[in-house]
Amino acid sequence: MSQWLEQVIDGAALDDYLAPVRQQALTQLKNDGWPKRRNESWINTPLTPVEKRNVAIATQADSVPVPNIDNLNALDIVFVDGVLVTQINTLDVPEGMAITSLNVDDAATQQAIASVFGQVKPTRHLFGRVNDALCQHGVFINVADGAKVTKPIRIVNLATKNVDAHTRVLVKLGNASSAVIIEQGSGDTDSLTTAFAEYDIADDAHLEHYRFAMFTGSAKQLGGSHFMLHDRSTLNSTLVGYGSELSRLDVDMHHAGEFANAKMNAIYLLAEGELFDLHSTIEHAMPNGTTEENARGIVGDKARAVFNGRIHIHRDAQKTLAELNNRNLLLSRRGVINTKPELEIYADDVRCAHGATVAEIEGEALYYMLTRGVPRSKALVMLNFGFIQELINDMPNAAIRDWLLPVLSERFAHMEVK
Amino acid sequence: MLSIKNLHASVEEKIIIKGLNLEVKPGEVHAIMGPNGAGKSTLGYVLSGRDGYEVSEGEVTLNGKDLLDLEVEERAREGLFLAFQYPVEIPGVSNMEFMKESVNAMREQRGEDPLTAAEFLKKAKDACKQVQLPLDFLKRGVNEGFSGGEKKRNEIMQMILLEPKLCILDESDSGLDVDALQVVADGVNSQRDGERSFIVVTHYQRLLDYIKPDFVHILADGKIVKSGDASLALEVEKSGYAFLGKAYEEAEA
Repeated sequence: MSQWLEQVIDGAALDDYLAPVRQQALTQLKNDGWPKRRNESWINTPLTPVEKRNVAIATQADSVPVPNIDNLNALDIVFVDGVLVTQINTLDVPEGMAITSLNVDDAATQQAIASVFGQVKPTRHLFGRVNDALCQHGVFINVADGAKVTKPIRIVNLATKNVDAHTRVLVKLGNASSAVIIEQGSGDTDSLTTAFAEYDIADDAHLEHYRFAMFTGSAKQLGGSHFMLHDRSTLNSTLVGYGSELSRLDVDMHHAGEFANAKMNAIYLLAEGELFDLHSTIEHAMPNGTTEENARGIVGDKARAVFNGRIHIHRDAQKTLAELNNRNLLLSRRGVINTKPELEIYADDVRCAHGATVAEIEGEALYYMLTRGVPRSKALVMLNFGFIQELINDMPNAAIRDWLLPVLSERFAHMEVK
Repeated sequence: MLSIKNLHASVEEKIIIKGLNLEVKPGEVHAIMGPNGAGKSTLGYVLSGRDGYEVSEGEVTLNGKDLLDLEVEERAREGLFLAFQYPVEIPGVSNMEFMKESVNAMREQRGEDPLTAAEFLKKAKDACKQVQLPLDFLKRGVNEGFSGGEKKRNEIMQMILLEPKLCILDESDSGLDVDALQVVADGVNSQRDGERSFIVVTHYQRLLDYIKPDFVHILADGKIVKSGDASLALEVEKSGYAFLGKAYEEAEA
């Protein structure tokens, strides 16, 4: 058991309406303890930066400037160091949508929250359990049946000081509704953020989702986005990850209904010495589901990317179409990529494909561009950014595309090729 | 314009060019013909500065500058253009974006201001029209999914935009039908202005019906073994490379 986990368990309070889930999480944390060095889930992602931490929770936080996304007319909900600083009741919430803090007294709302809290996210995630046990700040977004909410809701986590931040986002999309949700996080100081989000997407509903996990430096982030897809529901998700001392996202997409369609694009850009770990699990429990996942990343000098993409097709999930692809570009011989696409198929009438590639700088294409006089540094960005840019261009929201493209190309332009 | 003296070059320690001499003056068109494996493509790669192509002996100057001393992109900015036999596909980088960077790199070299997006677009559209490439090719990934003929026309389109001083066309005719060949040749001929020089590398005489050379050189076993005027190409067409006798046998060996 690590010092940090002991303090987590000691500090948990079981006095609110979420106590049953918190209790279950605590029991699992106690029983399973801290992952051993050879634990499959953490084998390439050392937890040493957390092990010896002291638990510290902020009780209040100041408003700090929130990174802007130009021309995106979104409704912002902001957490600073784990504290919800947005006054939810003052928000101009779009019609058909209700947003509440997790700290509510109203029994009906509590019941609605409890129907999502810990119900979409699988219980196996270590830091998901910690978040279950400790999170005090979070929001619940409820979209009414048939409501098509086009205004994006942006949830921002900012790490500004050395505390542990545990925040939660719960989203319930009613039948045939739609919403656009952006989860965004950043910070570079010594800190730890566990930000978990659960999405319950009802029949015929559509979720457009983004997660920008831009923690760097000594900011440790351990979070996840988890989706439950019911009949004919659709998900279009884009993840963007920077690396830090320790940065890990767990994603689960669970096809609980038939004819659901999940699409996920993930991008990671790791500068020198950074670590980013994406574990995704797609459960096809029901027939006729479709999943397409593309994870692409660029790994700089002495940086490490870990990708684990699992597709599990249950016996009854006939006629599933599932594709998973991971492409990597190494900028240096000292960069590391641990990629592991996994297919586990128990149905006999499915179409599945998975693959992973690791490339180095494309000599022939680079040469071709140089013969046209393009400066070497520019050619490198244009060439090697192309496969990332494809995923940026694939994002449905133009304002987000226009914001992200220069942000990511700038980050890449400063990464050294060795 | 271009002066090559006693050039020796190798790839992966295999010597391919074995003492090649060539003088190209402004405005001239030189055709280089030869059997497969003679080193025709290698010459283009060596002159452009491709990695892995080592020059062990000889010198090359372009307008008096030591070409071999320059990086690939510097050679291009000095006015050297290589039209590839197999143009490279670059998915994710649009033709437009690529050419805009190229054209502006050339302009910077000449001390000119970069083109605005609108100015560039106009030039690019004109160049596309000249080689009969549909305008949406500008938006597509560089050569991505282009047919063989479209790739070759895209090369000529780039050449028109970049306004080089010396163009090396590496088998720009291969894989083209007669109509496409005509388009490529028209594109090239439109760029002949009495100053710009061309080296046309080809296996067949056919292209030279469309692009009239001032000189024809036969390259065999890494050397120019015979030079003449356009009639030399016809001779090759009639009797093949066998008339070269010993040199040809060496190349085949």
